[in-house]
Amino acid sequence: MSERTRNLIYGGLIVALIAVVGFLIATNPTEADRVSRLGASIMCPVCQGEAIIHSPSEMAREMMDLIEERVGQGATDQQIIDELTASYGQGILLDPPVSGPTLILWLAPAIALVAGIGAIVWWRRHPSDPGDPTAAPAGRTRTAVTALILIGSAAAVLVAVTSFLQDRDETALGVADLQVEDLDEVSNQTLEAVIAANLDHPQISGMRLALADRYREEGDYRSAFPHYFAVVESETSDAGQRVAALAGLAWITWDGNGEADTALGLLDRALEIQPGSVPVRFLEGRILHCSGQSDRSERVLSDLLQEPSLTVEWKQIVSDELAAVEAREVCA
Amino acid sequence: MKSGMRWVGYGLALAAVVLSVILATRFGRDPGLVESPLIGQPAPEFTLPSLDGEETVSLTDLRGDVVVVNFFASWCLECRLEHPDLVASSDTFGPTGVTFVQIGYQERPQDSSAWLDDVGRSDHTLYLHDPGSRTAIAYGVFGIPETFFIDPDGTVVGKIIGEADALTIGATIDAIKRGERPGQSVTGNTQQRPDS
Repeated sequence: MSERTRNLIYGGLIVALIAVVGFLIATNPTEADRVSRLGASIMCPVCQGEAIIHSPSEMAREMMDLIEERVGQGATDQQIIDELTASYGQGILLDPPVSGPTLILWLAPAIALVAGIGAIVWWRRHPSDPGDPTAAPAGRTRTAVTALILIGSAAAVLVAVTSFLQDRDETALGVADLQVEDLDEVSNQTLEAVIAANLDHPQISGMRLALADRYREEGDYRSAFPHYFAVVESETSDAGQRVAALAGLAWITWDGNGEADTALGLLDRALEIQPGSVPVRFLEGRILHCSGQSDRSERVLSDLLQEPSLTVEWKQIVSDELAAVEAREVCA
Repeated sequence: MKSGMRWVGYGLALAAVVLSVILATRFGRDPGLVESPLIGQPAPEFTLPSLDGEETVSLTDLRGDVVVVNFFASWCLECRLEHPDLVASSDTFGPTGVTFVQIGYQERPQDSSAWLDDVGRSDHTLYLHDPGSRTAIAYGVFGIPETFFIDPDGTVVGKIIGEADALTIGATIDAIKRGERPGQSVTGNTQQRPDS
């Protein structure tokens, strides 16, 4: 065997050995290699487009710790990726999956390459001057190419815009369900929480009054009382709110506790704020009626009926009550 | 040749326009605002120590309740803004089968605790520490505040990204009690730790 042949064999053996070692390293990465590779494929959720392995943020470091722990526990790469994408979604992957909507991202370079080669080949086969292969195509073909480029561009723009709008819709999913446009759909507990969280808000009296009225209609006078009382006492309540709260207090004081004098006193306070208030005067007549003071009730309701500003609806309500009083009917 | 170069120029210009449109639609989108993959899925389990370290709380122990899981930190401005609403909501709903769990995010438990001493606590809320942010990672937290709603069966049915007010919290709980799945709502900004 010549020296040259021997050298060739030795050289070949060394290359083969390096190849085998390289193959073994590549196919049997250490745990540290796997952690690094996974860390390089996961995007830091609190950064912009940076892998967690390269990010100095605490969140990224903690995610690297988690990956290291999972690798140490024997989890496969796919199991670790599945765990993180289950929490953050596919968007956490720096390399999008080769499937579904992101497949186009992987195919785009190949498509562009094929299209480019095709364009060059086509260009060379259709010169405007047959003698000059680098010359531009002429006439109708040129127009056709222009049209194709324009149609392709328009399609690309359309796809991009449609995709964008679809994404926006998906992002908004569920938001509308949480918007509270109608307080009737909100529970008493929710209103209680809103009031408790906004005690100093200048417009909270309106919500308190609505909640108190709701409790009163449900017959829950114990819950209504503190809200009516707070509206009366609040410096931010307007006159109308105070009068309505005093009227509410008067009714539950009478209907709940049977204290007619206290109720009438509360209505007097309301009339000091809004003299001549129709609802308050009607309520006064009704409480007098219900508490057996029919003569006084008759006077109050008769006077109210003479009120020129009384609306048709109120006129009917007052007339009906007055008729019941005059007939000495039991208060309903 | 001149004409050929002009056509190549047209093509490149159009390609640039298309690319610009695509990029313009993608840039500026906050990846944290996409629909959480957890919605409709079983809530990730956790067993975490209380801030004082004296007890541990497991999510499984709360099965049967509506559970509101909020991630907060003392360095988070939105957390400070929403805190009175969380306390009021917990005080109101706490006695009615709704458990509020507030988990300190990326800070020492004593820092979370000192902050709560300052801004107040609800007697009905469980205040917990999350060592290594494992629970925050399991819930896919991008920034805080983020608030998750778990139904009595243990399924994540709602999420509020940003400051949560009492009306939104209450309306979400109302919807869950009616058997609805409120989904995700973006009410404001979230914050990352200042040094991240």
